[in-house]
Amino acid sequence: MAGGAIAGTEARRHHGVAGERVLRRVPRTRRERLEARAGWTLVSPAIVMVAVFILFPLGFCVYISLTNWPLIGPYHFIGFANYTALAHNSVFLQSIVFTLEYTAIVTVPILVFGYLLAVFVRSNRPGASIFRTCVFLPYIVGLTTLSFLAEVELQPGYGTVNVVLSKLHLASINTVWVQNANLALVAICVLVVWLASGFTMMLLLAGMQGIPEQLYESADVDGATWWEKERMVTIPLLRRSIALSLIISVVGSILAFNQFYIITDGGPGTSTVSLVMEIYETFNTAMHVGAASAMAVVLIIVVGLITFVQFRILRADDV
Amino acid sequence: MSEDRRAGARPSGRAWRVAGRRRQTGTVFYVTAGCLISAIFVVPLLWEVLRSFEPTQEITSPPSLAIFSHLGIENYRSLLVGSDDVARNVVNSLIVALATALLTTIVATLAGYGFGRFRFRGSGIVFAAVLIGFMVPFQAVLTPLFLELHDLHLLNSLVGLWLFYTAFNLPFGIYIMRNTFAQVPDELVDAARVDGASVLSTLTRVLRAIVMPGIATSFLFAFLFAWTEFLGALTFLTSSSVYTLPVALSNVETGTTYGGVNFGYLTAGAVIAMVPCVIVYASLQRFYVRGLVSGAVKG
Repeated sequence: MAGGAIAGTEARRHHGVAGERVLRRVPRTRRERLEARAGWTLVSPAIVMVAVFILFPLGFCVYISLTNWPLIGPYHFIGFANYTALAHNSVFLQSIVFTLEYTAIVTVPILVFGYLLAVFVRSNRPGASIFRTCVFLPYIVGLTTLSFLAEVELQPGYGTVNVVLSKLHLASINTVWVQNANLALVAICVLVVWLASGFTMMLLLAGMQGIPEQLYESADVDGATWWEKERMVTIPLLRRSIALSLIISVVGSILAFNQFYIITDGGPGTSTVSLVMEIYETFNTAMHVGAASAMAVVLIIVVGLITFVQFRILRADDV
Repeated sequence: MSEDRRAGARPSGRAWRVAGRRRQTGTVFYVTAGCLISAIFVVPLLWEVLRSFEPTQEITSPPSLAIFSHLGIENYRSLLVGSDDVARNVVNSLIVALATALLTTIVATLAGYGFGRFRFRGSGIVFAAVLIGFMVPFQAVLTPLFLELHDLHLLNSLVGLWLFYTAFNLPFGIYIMRNTFAQVPDELVDAARVDGASVLSTLTRVLRAIVMPGIATSFLFAFLFAWTEFLGALTFLTSSSVYTLPVALSNVETGTTYGGVNFGYLTAGAVIAMVPCVIVYASLQRFYVRGLVSGAVKG
């Protein structure tokens, strides 16, 4: 209603610049007004949900992080004290270093295995689509469930991992994986690479299927080898898919929680506490609401920036 | 087979036959390699299914050939109908996952229709807000959400969990549905309008066939998310009667509420957790790939 007047000014303001496009957007006729109202009605439930359960908590998180928020009673603003305290919080800093270390270890193997698997299953030979499904299965089952099973199979004395490795004379059957930070990290990285390679494979495969067959045919005519075709045709045309799968896998690693909480519970000591797990512990166990929120803001900024790049890549592709 | 026939159709084509045979050898190698690679990913899962039928004392003792002689459904029986009543947690998980998938799909479809087919002032800004929602990892806002849900009396409640899951699945769903609706040819919508169809009946009747894949995609992603989500449920749920399956399993794992660690129960519970994922994925596979192609996926 009041929007009509504002819309009119808007149209005049843009008239000279964007011309017709803007004019068509402004609800002038009855039909266009009805269309605008219908549009708002359709999007409003979604807007309310997103505003109440995502955007409000986001703002609230920043707000809390600037206070000494207690669970009960009054609070007051303390500026950036929560943030400056983080700089001296050794467990928090350690969790960041550990999370980055973990991310650095798993990212490249996931991409490389995912790429090789995609090359393998993009074939139109018999069985390729079944192999695709099989390789993707661990990802579909999910990390939470598989972490519980890994916990069982890593047990010293009888876990399948230890039994198989001892039969191959690679490790003792009594290896206690979770009592050593490095061993625990190795076990979890293997689990995650095994699980996530299928996901990267599917993303890259989707990209590969968009590459015109003629390009490979003309490369064949030029006598290109397999690797030359990958290097000259596939990889350049797959840049967007590779960038997306890297972003998704890096964000997923930065947000890692389930596997560490379930398999190591952060131990031994606090050596395998991931960043998200530290936020969880700070809030749920230590009940430091302000500190947990400040950590979360740091996490949001990092992940938000990376996801922003993801959308820029998608946008660039749309245009 | 078809290679053979083609070679046979050209009696003088010796080169064809050689090429055909080489192709065939290649196919044999390919299938063999494919089976080996698939085994790396599938055998561990099948092994766990087998393990879940072993009694706990078998799982927790060094392996012997006797393993296969004691298989039974004892773990499942004790886990589901015993005093632990994990059946209740399975039902909780199913309800939340289905309700999340349904609500996400409905709200995202409406919004996608609005963003994709209607011109209105502010739609760009509002869509940008949705994209900001996409950039916020739910793991980071659990603390403020906990306080908010507490004030709304939605803490320790499946309804609260349901709304939380739905909200965080919406940005992806809206993105998918907006693109789906934007791809619908204008003539189709105009034709329906000329025929005097209302806004909603246009959506339900005319667009159904074209929009169905997008709907299936957002349903599938929301269901899998809600069924496997762990951290949010762990944070918001505090009594075992409302636990979802992953949270119940984490209690089996730590042995806090179910009378000590029982790896037989844990394995059986994990296998139960796998089943819906596999069924839903197998039946809606092509829609999953559609979602991946959009690129707007979270890890």
